Amino acid sequence: MKAGLEVHQQLATAKLFCRCPSELSEAVLGVVRRSLRATGGEDHLVDAAAAFQSARGLIFRYEISPSSCLVDLDEEPPGLLNPEALDVALTVAMMLGARVLDEVEVMRKIVVDGSNTSGFQRTALVAVDGAIDVGGQRYRIDTIALEEDAARRIDGGAHEVSFRLDRLGVPLIEIATAPEITQGAEARAVAEEIGAVLRSTGRVRRGIGTIREDLNVSTDGGARVEIKGVQQLRLLEKYAGVEEERQRRLLEVATELRRRGASVPPEGARPVTDLLREVVEGPLRFRDGWVVVGLRFRGFAGLLRANTPDGPRLGRELADHARSVGLGGLLHSDELPGQGIGEQLLVRLRRELDAEPADALVLLAAPDLARAHAAAYRVQGRARAALDGVPPETRDPLPDGTTRYSRPLPGRNRMYPETDVPPTTIDAARTERLQGVLPERPSATRQRLAADFALRPERIDQLWRSGEVARFEQFVADGRTANNVARLLTQELPAAMGRLSGDGEREVSDDLLRALLVALERGTIAKEAIPPVLDELLAGATSVADAAERRGLVGVSGDELGDMAGKVVAANRELVLAKGMAAFSALMGDLMKEVRGRRDGKEVAAALRTKMAGLLASEGRPT
Amino acid sequence: MATDPIDELRRLPMGELVTVVNPDGRRWHGRLVPAHELSGDRIIQLKLESGYNVGVRVDPGAKIEHHPAPASSTEKRLPVERPPTAPSAPASGPVALLTTGGTIASRVDYQTGGVRPVHGEREILSFFPELEQGGPVRVVRVLDKLSEDVSRDDWVLLAHQVEAAFRSGAVGVVIAHGTDTLQFTASALSFLLEGLPGPVVLVGAQRSPDRPSSDGFTNMAAAVRVAREPDLYEVVVVMHAGLSDDQWAVHRGTRVRKMHSSRRDAFATRNEPPLGRVANGAVSWEQARRPRSGTLLAVTKPPDGRGALLWMFPGLDPTRAAEFARTLRGLVLAGTGLGHTAQEHLAWIRAATGRGAVVAMTTQTLGGSVDPYVYATGRELLRAGVVFAGDMLPETAYVKLLWALGQSDDPAEVTRLFLADRAGEMVNRHTDTGAVG
Repeated sequence: MKAGLEVHQQLATAKLFCRCPSELSEAVLGVVRRSLRATGGEDHLVDAAAAFQSARGLIFRYEISPSSCLVDLDEEPPGLLNPEALDVALTVAMMLGARVLDEVEVMRKIVVDGSNTSGFQRTALVAVDGAIDVGGQRYRIDTIALEEDAARRIDGGAHEVSFRLDRLGVPLIEIATAPEITQGAEARAVAEEIGAVLRSTGRVRRGIGTIREDLNVSTDGGARVEIKGVQQLRLLEKYAGVEEERQRRLLEVATELRRRGASVPPEGARPVTDLLREVVEGPLRFRDGWVVVGLRFRGFAGLLRANTPDGPRLGRELADHARSVGLGGLLHSDELPGQGIGEQLLVRLRRELDAEPADALVLLAAPDLARAHAAAYRVQGRARAALDGVPPETRDPLPDGTTRYSRPLPGRNRMYPETDVPPTTIDAARTERLQGVLPERPSATRQRLAADFALRPERIDQLWRSGEVARFEQFVADGRTANNVARLLTQELPAAMGRLSGDGEREVSDDLLRALLVALERGTIAKEAIPPVLDELLAGATSVADAAERRGLVGVSGDELGDMAGKVVAANRELVLAKGMAAFSALMGDLMKEVRGRRDGKEVAAALRTKMAGLLASEGRPT
Repeated sequence: MATDPIDELRRLPMGELVTVVNPDGRRWHGRLVPAHELSGDRIIQLKLESGYNVGVRVDPGAKIEHHPAPASSTEKRLPVERPPTAPSAPASGPVALLTTGGTIASRVDYQTGGVRPVHGEREILSFFPELEQGGPVRVVRVLDKLSEDVSRDDWVLLAHQVEAAFRSGAVGVVIAHGTDTLQFTASALSFLLEGLPGPVVLVGAQRSPDRPSSDGFTNMAAAVRVAREPDLYEVVVVMHAGLSDDQWAVHRGTRVRKMHSSRRDAFATRNEPPLGRVANGAVSWEQARRPRSGTLLAVTKPPDGRGALLWMFPGLDPTRAAEFARTLRGLVLAGTGLGHTAQEHLAWIRAATGRGAVVAMTTQTLGGSVDPYVYATGRELLRAGVVFAGDMLPETAYVKLLWALGQSDDPAEVTRLFLADRAGEMVNRHTDTGAVG
């Protein structure tokens, strides 16, 4: 396997070609509906991916947001390339030792899935030929580009897809590595290291969805497949592995198909609706007005079903293509009889479609004949590609670590100059100015943290990866304990953000985080109480005390804790006297029921031990 | 003598594969494409293998290698799948599509990245494949100009082309035109053409058709639809009626004005609702259409260029204005409010009308009528011989005055023609149509 990564990071500047803020918003100020078409004609190439999307004939519904303007609506020409965003991209390029271009030209990349109102994404190459060192190995970085983020998809049906314009135009830095990654684990490590460099600029957006990865996987004899928009780094490894396995299986299938002399007949699908009138259950149950068409693939029998329970199946690949035109899926002969189709009917279908026992049948149900044929055309194309092995394509990552077909791989034909934006010359004065204020490299930061603070190496690792070094140093300089600060910023806070539903747009102010650390040091809240308190702060609590109170987590003072421990010991006097310190666990359970989250567990244990020892000593028992 | 490598590069044909190695060792390899007009000094533009264009500074000591342009792309041509179209309506007669240039008839050249005009019937129909659903479309290339370059002579040329199209059997005529001066051409054709046997529909695009989001595709389809309407015998403009791709307005050619520099719904009928709308492939009428005139199809005498339009603004020097008006046969003023100017302009206006020039008053407000009776200034302008043009838009009044000047040498006859209704350019009754703007 060879894999390359594209890391996309949103910047915390204004949008790339207008003065709108780069902030998501739930407000919807209005709606417009548009259609897009793949442009190109008789003597020009139409990009395959663009033609594919255009053919779906979808209506796009755009929600106007307080963070959008006429530029986002494609109703006003773009402004100049945001100089602040360009500075961040140049800074990153220099940190990665890349060659900065003499002049940056903005391009239009055709994308007609509706995610850009214009039908293209504006993108500009800023630097080339950088590198990053990870785990003692050097990975080349081919390109560093600045581009606009797409509109946020809200929901989608078979005919209409909704997007919100708040995210459209938010600047993204795109960093593409050379295809030199050979293992899934490496992909994750490289992505993390690139993320750390980006965050060290202090100018990137934080939170869920603000950094996304595309993973390009190629295998020997296979093809390049792009898994687009991975938001969880921990899944990169899984996606890479699953894709490698999927390609291996598809190659096996191709070998077997060739051995059998299998083929995909050129003729189109045949309507079989009338044969299916008596079907009362399953995906092909008879529905008024619906049509069912059938396809036959010579020599494909038995290869559409999975050969292992979780193995990739040709049937699933074919079904994904039927879904890509809005159908629910398909039925194939490897799963028949069944699904409401009996043996007799299957025989009739085979006869109707001229299928031999060695052939596979595919049945597609659609609300109209046009859609059925559109789906059949796609499915047939995919079956034909199976004879050659692995088709190059774009796939969507799914939360379970698998992927699903999304669209053909876009080619070079989709890029042409954005004539509305003049080029930006990068002069020496600009690069020198940025060079003078270049952030510390992550490797240097790590060394410094190790030298300055008594932190465990893993903690240091987490700290620089999180991009929280600046805040960490600030809080520690204010007198907070290094370990508490590091844990809060690298674990507890990100975890709390992760628990947020939606887009993770809320945040806890630095002042509240400081107050939380002080409360922890004074013992007014326990370490265990930090997650619930953070949740409340994210939900709008105005102070740490307010947050603690909402969860009933008002702290227990040292004296109170002593009294409570004394009561538990008194209540279990006989048990303690009988079992000695071995009774600790039982008593600890009782005590924790009362003080959980209100006092650090270690302190609770210490208080309990003191009281138990006191009782045992007073009775002359060994402790 | 060694030649400067940048000169060497500038002599190469576009599309040539070149390698530039600057003295600092930086090496660039790509296809030569035209540099942007605003590119920096000594910058050439290369298209890299990735598809990106980059600007490369060529040092005087740079080394250049070039290779013949590569064979055409190895990428497969993929047929564009179009969603199956509804069965076409019973075919009507042909619609003539006259092209003049402008955004709607331009496309991007992927080799150079430049925008160029669309040529030829085949290319245009391949661009707008749905146009022939309702019947045949014949494409006639008349001009190849941005609309800001369209001249008075071009109006006349277009009028004759419209006449010819109808004479050769067209049921309607569509004119694809740049949007900047669309309203001037629409007015000119409204006055120049007599006895129209069918619709003349001007249409444009605010986004070029190389963009997947171009309004040109649907505007053109709506325009052809309107051109097939029976019982429409006037010059209209069809453009987007909102920001969504679901409604198109039909504007009377003499009442329409471009009211926004970039929005796709930039065109508006002033002082009344649009004539009609196109939605879901059907046309509905909201205002009375003009009946077919009894006269035969003809083009009148051409407009006379000795007329002008002057925007009256505070601080305009009367001497300068008098000089501007000195050799004119006619002048349309865009006055303030109900049709006013500063008192200091009265003298030269009086002098102009005195020597036989026709001076007409319109309003800068672009909504409502001028009225000479409300304020003293108005009454004085009236006494100075100024003709008040009702609610005629300044641009429409300017075009109409040029046309009237072309029809007669007699100022009284010019004034009579100017004030008489010819193509619905004046509305005599204003009702509340919602917000101003």
